[in-house]
Amino acid sequence: MKLEYNGEEQVPLAKAAVWDFINDPQKVASCLPDVQEVIVHDPKNFDAIVSVGLGLVRGKFKFKITLEPEEGGNRMNVKISGGGFGSAVDLLAGADLKDNGDSTTTLDWSGAATMRGPIATVGGRVLDAQAQKLISGTFANVKTRMAGN
Amino acid sequence: MNEIPVSIKINGKQVTASVESRTLLVHFIREQAELTGTHVGCDSSSCGVCTVLLDGDKPVKSCTMFAVMAHGHEITTVESLAPGGVLHPLQQAFWDQHGLQCGYCTPGMLMTSVALLKHNPNPTEHEIREGLSGNLCRCTGYNNIVKSIQQAAGVMSQAIPAAADD
Amino acid sequence: MTAPTTEKFAMGKSMKRKEDPRFLQGKGNYIDDINLKGQLYMALVHSPYPHANIKGIDSSAAMKVEGAVACVTSKELNAYNVGWLPTFHGLDKQMVLADGKVLYQYQEVAACYAETREAAYDMAELVEVDYEPLEVVNNPFKAMKDDVILRPDRENKTNHIYNWNVGDSSATDAALAASDHVVKQHVVFPRCHAAPLEPCGCIAEFDTMGRLQFYVTSQAPHVYRTALFLVLGIPEDKIHVISPDLGGGFGNKVPVYPGYVCAIAGALVLKRPVKWIETRTENLTSSFARDYHMDIEIGASNDGKLTALKVNTVADHGAFDAAADPSKYPAGMFGIVSGSYDFPVAYANLDAYFTNKQPGGVAYRCSFRVTEASYLIERAMDIVADELKMDPTELRRKNFIRKDQFPYKSPLNFTYDSGDYEHTMDVALERIGYKQLLKEQAEKRAKGELMGIGISTFTEVTGAGPSKHFDILGIKMFDGAEIRIHPSGAGIIRTGSKSQGQGHETTWAQIVAEELGLDPQNFLVEEGDTDTAPYGLGTYASRSTPVAGGALALAARKIREKARKIAAHVLEVDERDLEWKDYKFEVMGAPGKSITMKEIAFAAYTNPGDNEPGLEATLYYDPPNMVFPHGTYVAVVDVDRETGETKVRRFLAIDDAGTIINPMIVEGQVHGGLTEGFAIAFMQEIAYDEAGNNLATNFTDYLVPTSLESPSWETGHTVTPSPHHPIGAKSVGESPNVGSPAAFVNAVIDALSPLGVRHIDMPLTREKVWAAIRAAEGQAAD
Repeated sequence: MKLEYNGEEQVPLAKAAVWDFINDPQKVASCLPDVQEVIVHDPKNFDAIVSVGLGLVRGKFKFKITLEPEEGGNRMNVKISGGGFGSAVDLLAGADLKDNGDSTTTLDWSGAATMRGPIATVGGRVLDAQAQKLISGTFANVKTRMAGN
Repeated sequence: MNEIPVSIKINGKQVTASVESRTLLVHFIREQAELTGTHVGCDSSSCGVCTVLLDGDKPVKSCTMFAVMAHGHEITTVESLAPGGVLHPLQQAFWDQHGLQCGYCTPGMLMTSVALLKHNPNPTEHEIREGLSGNLCRCTGYNNIVKSIQQAAGVMSQAIPAAADD
Repeated sequence: MTAPTTEKFAMGKSMKRKEDPRFLQGKGNYIDDINLKGQLYMALVHSPYPHANIKGIDSSAAMKVEGAVACVTSKELNAYNVGWLPTFHGLDKQMVLADGKVLYQYQEVAACYAETREAAYDMAELVEVDYEPLEVVNNPFKAMKDDVILRPDRENKTNHIYNWNVGDSSATDAALAASDHVVKQHVVFPRCHAAPLEPCGCIAEFDTMGRLQFYVTSQAPHVYRTALFLVLGIPEDKIHVISPDLGGGFGNKVPVYPGYVCAIAGALVLKRPVKWIETRTENLTSSFARDYHMDIEIGASNDGKLTALKVNTVADHGAFDAAADPSKYPAGMFGIVSGSYDFPVAYANLDAYFTNKQPGGVAYRCSFRVTEASYLIERAMDIVADELKMDPTELRRKNFIRKDQFPYKSPLNFTYDSGDYEHTMDVALERIGYKQLLKEQAEKRAKGELMGIGISTFTEVTGAGPSKHFDILGIKMFDGAEIRIHPSGAGIIRTGSKSQGQGHETTWAQIVAEELGLDPQNFLVEEGDTDTAPYGLGTYASRSTPVAGGALALAARKIREKARKIAAHVLEVDERDLEWKDYKFEVMGAPGKSITMKEIAFAAYTNPGDNEPGLEATLYYDPPNMVFPHGTYVAVVDVDRETGETKVRRFLAIDDAGTIINPMIVEGQVHGGLTEGFAIAFMQEIAYDEAGNNLATNFTDYLVPTSLESPSWETGHTVTPSPHHPIGAKSVGESPNVGSPAAFVNAVIDALSPLGVRHIDMPLTREKVWAAIRAAEGQAAD
């Protein structure tokens, strides 16, 4: 099953600061809800182990995450793939950065996730709400963490 | 893995073993007590081939209950129904009415039926069908299972007053 | 002379089943009840992706599990040259474990072996597989574009597997063009699954003599032995296949599954017995049945005479062409699609495609695509009747193959053995009270209530089969029977068939008892052990009674002929003066001077004279033709206009299965088959979403009817014996599953027809029926 989400966050930081933040794997990973462990391979590739609980599907999922910043510092694409317990999740997310001109930045994000295996079938009935929570939670965390910096 | 001691009285006999805490009751019955009449069919409490009785008259699906949850309790399985090879009225009725084909669901069906008749000795056809709705059968289409339970209900309700007269 | 006891229990008697006492007491011996000393447990790793390249498999974490023994992937299997299996008909091969890529969700990727079941499953969860997802082809219409080639391992770089056709294409087109009416309909028979309550499983062990002891849930143990020889190269004398009690089969236990090969490979390499029992999810995701997308065209004259039949089918075969079809025809017996009707001309064409779905194509309680064919023609007959404004029973009556036309050569090349379709339909209509039902329906319709009557007057083809039509990997589809009579008149019967609940231990004894005048209670029936049973291709496709049953009757007659010689010796007469009468040999012209088979059996061991001692026979039977059971089924349904809820109020099945061996068992078979047909019609489908997710992976999503939904079945029969079968029997196991879906769907559509609904594809879930009602009412309002 394929799920699509989008949203917008207002971050009280200048665009360059936001750009720096979202190019830092350790910082990005720390924004994933229920993240247990982060293993950074290089500035663009890292693994994150996340606790997942969806209906009968419960446990730790391992995600491989690749940051794909676009030239010019206006857009960041993120590829996330992984899973566990016979399930797989592939997520493509992107965020456009808009300088609001008042030292704040608009993060206009969207993502599409493809779920496969028991997570889509057994967990499917509660998946949409959970995935929505996960993705919007991530971007909300991005905002909170940056605001806290 | 941490093993914990579990002791369950199965068909009147105390069975004690150290098992992993995640050991399912059905595996305890089949492997520790070596009673293989209780089967596994779906892993999700849907089919009821693993049905056994907890503390005499409560049917439970032993594939979705941990053995530790039955610690200190009594479990009754299909192997207890025909002491000395004399068939229980339900077993006899299933035989007479062709209430089984492959036999895989039969032990669970019988245990559910035992509990059903214990709680409701003279069920209507609808009550029987409702009572069996947690036990799947792929072979019989249920008609003959319903007839079997009706036969057994008749035999058992006659047998009780006769016994009282003695 | 004591009177023979056969009167009580032999042919045509509802003898209670001899196998039941052990099942009733929990003493059945199913695969998971068998444990071998020192056995390992195996668990499989399955792909969550329907289509992906495998970049790597890392089992290091899995091997750290306490009790882990080994983890095997296609790399290791390929090293032993067992990475791929030939498919059933030998036209394709399939991966045992994913080799380089996965082609369907839940495909087997790795096998984990451990000391305990729990450790094996722990291992399977920890095997890390690096997948590179590929575009998913989740239906045959996408597959036929060939934008994505699923099987680059094959010579032809296309998803098209084969084309098959039968009949006269141009004559059919001409006849259709000349017809007063041409009725067209697209009909889908959805993907479904046999789902026996006992999943599949096996234990493999190489004993100290290097002999493979293979315990397995198999409907066809001899086929497995030969297939294992062909696949693994183990000499056949070094393979012992034992199929214990089977908890249902329905076709699901015919294929050789990858798990079996992994268990054998593990046992060979690890030198320990290996046990593997499917989870329900594994059971539901490793094979399938049906999945035909059919377009039918029927020509008819103004007065309701059928003029031509044309069928075009697109078949979804999944990732491998692994259909369990032993016929010489890729689409099996689909040519039975002309049904019970005398079409002057017909043509059927079929194209099969690969998709990213589970492979298989098992004949789920069906003789290889007979259910699809039967459903299509019976559904279409109702649509034709509707368009011609005829009563569906009248249209059928007008076009039935008449009793005097048998043996009937169909336009799609079958020779039907016998039948009396009109009589069977009349019996059914009389018993259900058809006229009264029509009256009631008219009254209800006047009040806006939705009541439907559905008819199916199907013909099926079973008894695979005559060697001119069938083989499995070259082996002809005969069956062997062996009967050995002991001195006391008791005996042992062995056949190459394998009961999964059909009651062979009882019915085989009845056939032999009838032929020999012995007590069926004193016959032990043994099946499923390849060391002792004569060669035979197993039980599926309703073939046991037509083939093994025929072999048994003929073997018994062979014994009778030997018994005649011994009888002549004992009675001191010429054997030509003996007559087999009332279950004993009588001296012609000397009533009272006779000898029973029991007495002859004793003489065979104590006083055989010049005859070879002993009394036994082995016989292999290659049937001259298939058999063609038929029936009339009538369903009466009420549909709730507000909720779409369908209630099957009555269902009557009148079957004509030829000679009946045991009416109780026949009735039980019909009840079970009808319930499976009911499930297919109303609730079962292996559906996939657009991402290729299999949405029916357990019994909470793939529904089996409970006692509450299942209707009360009414049954009956007519008897038109098969002219060529030794005892005139046809078969009945599959008829109710073949014939009933159309009756259910016809009834629901008949109920909805006042709203203008013409067809809904199965399963007719409440939601689908509700949507059809809303759509029809919406259109009416526009």
